[in-house]
Amino acid sequence: MRQTVVSSTLVRRQSAKLNVKNRIFIALVVISNTMGTVLLGRGMTQMPDFASGAFAYIGRFLTNPWIVSGIALLVVWMAAQLSMLTWADLSYVLPVTASYYILTAIVSRFFLAERISLTRWIGIAVISLGVMLVSHTPPRTHELPEGLLE
Amino acid sequence: MKWLWVAITVISGTIGDVLCARGMAMHGELDDFRPTGIARILRYMVTHKIVLAGIAGDAISFFSFLALLSVTELNFAVPATALSYVFKTALARWYLREHVGWGRWAGALLVAFGIVLVSL
Repeated sequence: MRQTVVSSTLVRRQSAKLNVKNRIFIALVVISNTMGTVLLGRGMTQMPDFASGAFAYIGRFLTNPWIVSGIALLVVWMAAQLSMLTWADLSYVLPVTASYYILTAIVSRFFLAERISLTRWIGIAVISLGVMLVSHTPPRTHELPEGLLE
Repeated sequence: MKWLWVAITVISGTIGDVLCARGMAMHGELDDFRPTGIARILRYMVTHKIVLAGIAGDAISFFSFLALLSVTELNFAVPATALSYVFKTALARWYLREHVGWGRWAGALLVAFGIVLVSL
């Protein structure tokens, strides 16, 4: 009962402004994760075997432009996802940002011209359904930790 | 051996994400996106003890996932660790006290199941 009252007050407090910010950050999290992973993956294919020497390996790793820009985007992803957690629940952020599985499939289909099997398309549809269900719930439902309520 | 890496990936990733969520919620809603505000939130992320512990958990999860990939294929590693979505949702409900209704449970299960299908 108490929980219901709290969540309905919080829902009302969640303004249109939060909605815009929330959408921008979902896009930022999804795009930076997808692009970061794609760039890092591309760079890793150019790396020598690790057994060929650790110092040479680390040197190549830190100077490969694909790897460096991939890691930079993954740092953006981490910071954006952590920022979202200041206003949204973990049980909201995780499923909603899982749409990078969808974007990765689209990128690999249209930009890398990879073939996508029927099973993968079904998987993409199932993930999309899950993302849609969760994105219709309010981003924050729980109380802030003791003593930190405004 | 591969199941040990699966367990480490899932457990450390779950604890990491939950701690990150707890630590970031303590900050209160981020609203200042001027350069000074962004610098302040970034400093918060790398100095707050709970957030740092969370990032450490996620880092352990990332590297044990790489270790898992060195002993198995992606189409085993991804579905085997997809279950962490369900564990994270459960801990969000019981530890973080989030209001996880049927929509969120169904969403988490669908996402985990979809990831299994995508990686087959």
